[in-house]
Parts: sequence; C-alpha cells; structure tokens
Amino acid sequence: MATVEAVIRHQYRWATAPDEPLPSLPGFVLSSFSPLVALVADRCLSEYYAEPSVPTASRQRTAVLVVSRSSDLVSAEHVRRTIAGGDRIGPLFFYQSAPNSVVGQIATHWGLGGPVVCISPVGDPLVDGLAEAALLLEDGDADEVLLILVEQGSDDDQHHTADRAHALVVGPGGPSMAIHDPVPAQGETS
Amino acid sequence: MPEAAPVGIAGLAVLSALGRGAEPQLAAVLSGAAAFGPVTRFEVGRRRVGIAATLEQVDSLPAELAAVIDDACADAGLDARQRAGCPLLLALHGHPGATGWAVELAARAGLAGAGRVYTGACVSASTAVADAAAMIGRGADRVLVAAGYLVEPDQFALFDAGRAFATDGVVRPFSAGRQGLLLGDAVAAVVLESPAAAADRGHRPPAELIGWGRAGDAYHPCQPAPDGRGLARAIEFALERSGISAHAIGYVNANATGTMLSDTAEAAALYRALGSAAGRVPVSSTKAVHGHALEASGLLELVITVLSLQAGKLPVNAGYLAPDSSCELDLIVASPRPVSSPYALSLNSAFGGANTALLVRAA
Repeated sequence: MATVEAVIRHQYRWATAPDEPLPSLPGFVLSSFSPLVALVADRCLSEYYAEPSVPTASRQRTAVLVVSRSSDLVSAEHVRRTIAGGDRIGPLFFYQSAPNSVVGQIATHWGLGGPVVCISPVGDPLVDGLAEAALLLEDGDADEVLLILVEQGSDDDQHHTADRAHALVVGPGGPSMAIHDPVPAQGETS
Repeated sequence: MPEAAPVGIAGLAVLSALGRGAEPQLAAVLSGAAAFGPVTRFEVGRRRVGIAATLEQVDSLPAELAAVIDDACADAGLDARQRAGCPLLLALHGHPGATGWAVELAARAGLAGAGRVYTGACVSASTAVADAAAMIGRGADRVLVAAGYLVEPDQFALFDAGRAFATDGVVRPFSAGRQGLLLGDAVAAVVLESPAAAADRGHRPPAELIGWGRAGDAYHPCQPAPDGRGLARAIEFALERSGISAHAIGYVNANATGTMLSDTAEAAALYRALGSAAGRVPVSSTKAVHGHALEASGLLELVITVLSLQAGKLPVNAGYLAPDSSCELDLIVASPRPVSSPYALSLNSAFGGANTALLVRAA
C-alpha cells in the first residue's frame, strides 16, 4: 500500500441513467466517447472554476488524464467493420481514433497546459487514475490534474449497460489518501 | 522544477522494420537507408498510399512484446529476484484487451505485475518512460517499459483517410517538399533502474535518463501549436531536472514526422526552449528511416538515441531535399556526425497537443 499526497478538490459524475441526450461535439461523430468526456470535463470545470472559460496562465500546469479500459470502443468497432467490409472510412475517424483528440479540445477551451496522459486501468479505474494523478503532481510537471474516468456502455441480448463518466479535479496536499498503487514503492512488491 | 537524480538505462531490446536487435537499427539510421516498401501484410488496394516500413517475419504483437521484455531483462542482467520486484509499464493502442495483455506479459516474464497501460497515441511510450523515472524517484528500484505497434489495417486505413501519408513514399523531416508521414513497426523494451539499485548489484548502465518533461499545447484537438509552446515547456522541464544548460545538448532526435505543420512547430519549440543553442545543435528525425511507430515511437527513438551516443555517431535526417525557411535547424543531412557531447534529447508529440522530452547522457 503506497500512500500518495493528493486530494480531490471537485468532482462531477455523469448519471448512469441520463434523462438528457449528450450534446454533440463538433468534429466528433457516431460515438458517445468524446462528447461524454467533453461533457463531464466542462461541467466539472464550470463548477470548479465558477467563472467563464477564459484560458489563464494559472492553468499552465493543469494536466488532463483520461482513464478508460476500452477507449472509444464504438469508433474502433465501426472502423474495424467498415474496413473488413472493404469500404472507405470517413476522415473524421482519423482524428477521433486516439483519446488525445478530445483532451486537446478540453485543454484548448479551458487553457490547460499540463501533461496530456491517457491510460487503461489495470485495477480499479479511480484508484489507478488517482495514483497516476498523484505521480504527475509529485513529479512536478502538473500542479493540478483533471482526471476523467470514462467507459462506454454496451447492449446485447442479455445486458444493457449505460455510458458512464466521472471527472475530478485532483490537487496536491493532504489529507493523504491510502491508495494501492500497482507500482510498488521501495521495498514493496505487489 | 528541482533537479532530479539520474535514472540508469540498464538494458534494452528492440525490433523494427530495420531488423531485430540493436545493430540493424544503428546501421540503418547512420546510413539513412529507409525501410519503406509496399505493404503486403494486408490488403491496401483501396488506399491512396500503400507504403509502410514493416518487418517481413514478425509474430503477433503480444509474442513480440514478450520477446523484447525477456531480451531487455537479459540485457540488463536481471535475475529472477530482481525481475520479481520490477513492474511493467506498457504502451500500445488502446483496446479492451490491453490491460489483459499487460497482466499476462508481466506474469510470463516474472515481473512484479502490470503497473500502467499507456494509450495516449504517439506520446504513450515516452510518457511511460517519464513516469518510470518519476516512480524510481519516489523509491522504486527498477521499472520495465515496453511498447509495441505493428502496422495493421485499421490504423493504416485511418491515417490514409486522414491524408496523413506521404504520397511520394518518402518521409522528409524538416525538408522543403515534405508530404507527410509513413507508418512503421516497432516493439521495444527498456529497463530503468535507480543508481542505488544498480550499485547494489554492481551494474554500470550504458546510459542514463537525466531529465524528462511532459506538457500540453492547449491549442487544438489535433494540430500542434505553431509556436511550439507545449513541446518547449517539456524540453525546459527536462533541462531543469537535469541541471545542464541548453548549450550542453549535443543531439536532438526530433519527433519530426515529415508533416508540414508538425515539423515547423517543432523547430519553433527548439528555438523557444534552447534559445541561441537551437541553431547549432545537430538534429535529425529517424522516422525518415524506420517510420512512425505511433504508441511505440517514443521508445524506439529513445533506444536509437542511446545506441547512437554509444556508437559515437549521430543519425542522418534521411529524405532531405532542400531547406525550409520555417525549419532552420542544423540538420544532419549528408552523413553521420561524430558525437561531440554525451547529452541528447529525444522528443515526441501527439494529437491533443501532448508533448514529451527525454534527456539522456551516455556513460
């Protein structure tokens, strides 16, 4: 169990059964992944900053960290099926093929100039995300982290799972959180 | 940014279209012999461009990752106990099975477990290296970073659809007349180790990571900031951690993909971060030889930078036609240059305005 110095300053969680459609996001098509990331980021930061979205120099070390087990599964499946079927893929899918692109959208809108990092969680997404955020804070390239956890839902004959997303602003300082970081500190093994 | 303790680069392993192991990489980047050719691995008849740098005899990506992980551990001289304390950081294109691969690869190699899986496009591997250094800074003895991308139909079709490929079949970083990038295979692994842990086992690393930095442009979803602001700050962070001056840098292995906007932005970043030293430091992008390995590019290029310093020769910037006034750098165009400084930067950038800088020192 590694102890990391980080504190959650604000958070916004997308309801698991949303009663409103996701706003569209210009430049991103078909899939809910990028609009969902943008939505939770904007709502979280709007509440946290409590001011218009004017980029400021004070956010130059705010990192954006996306944690997703499947990344944009809907886009990836669409690309796979289209290509396997011998059809041409639309150019917009090139730009949304990496989770970084929507991060760039968020970073531009809010003036967030810190590291851009995307990971797939090995363990619990929140724990892994907080551990990575704490590492960026401790290392010094970031003084605040916008952490976004996102997974797209799925439909099959047996189950329906909804899209879910959770945005958190994480900063340095106590009280420290006891997080099981899968990367052991000195003298530890996992 | 306080100075950081150096981190040993204790062992490495690599494959690309240039071949398996260190020697073919070094031979090709020094001679400028590019590995691009018609793609035969899958159907490209409907693509605008059908060229990439692919290795002929290649296994599945998990099998190749397993092989380089073993080879890097052997190169570092790690025994079973040392492996058992060494976590794996893996960089590759995100998919639902990615973390399962990481867990299986770590278990198969007898490592401590899968620490993180990085899926942030073309800075995935370099971010993992920076994170590994940070983990060692907070107490870990060793971290193994592995990364892989083997050219496959889906990403190939996406880059083709985005008109990102060089239609003339040549990657020309920083050159007038450059038309775009071409993809290439790469699978690599690097063992990073704390100086104390290396000393305990009597190991002297051939190179050290002495600085690293990660920063964003906050400019556009997929275009680089023209003034290179994010990459410049990543370089500045790396320099601050290392404690050396910009004038000490003797080589830059550039991200330069051969695309118009990115190469110009990178040249601007070098001037912004290095000042007057930017016009004098030798620069090349080895993507002109091995292609763009996407999530694995940062690790392949770090390995090539280390190998070049060790060999005492700096790689050429292949594919060069003529100067571009927006990229006025000291490019290594005719033949390899002798190494004049033990310090070199390896730079990477990605969609989303993501940037990284890794600063190495040869032993």
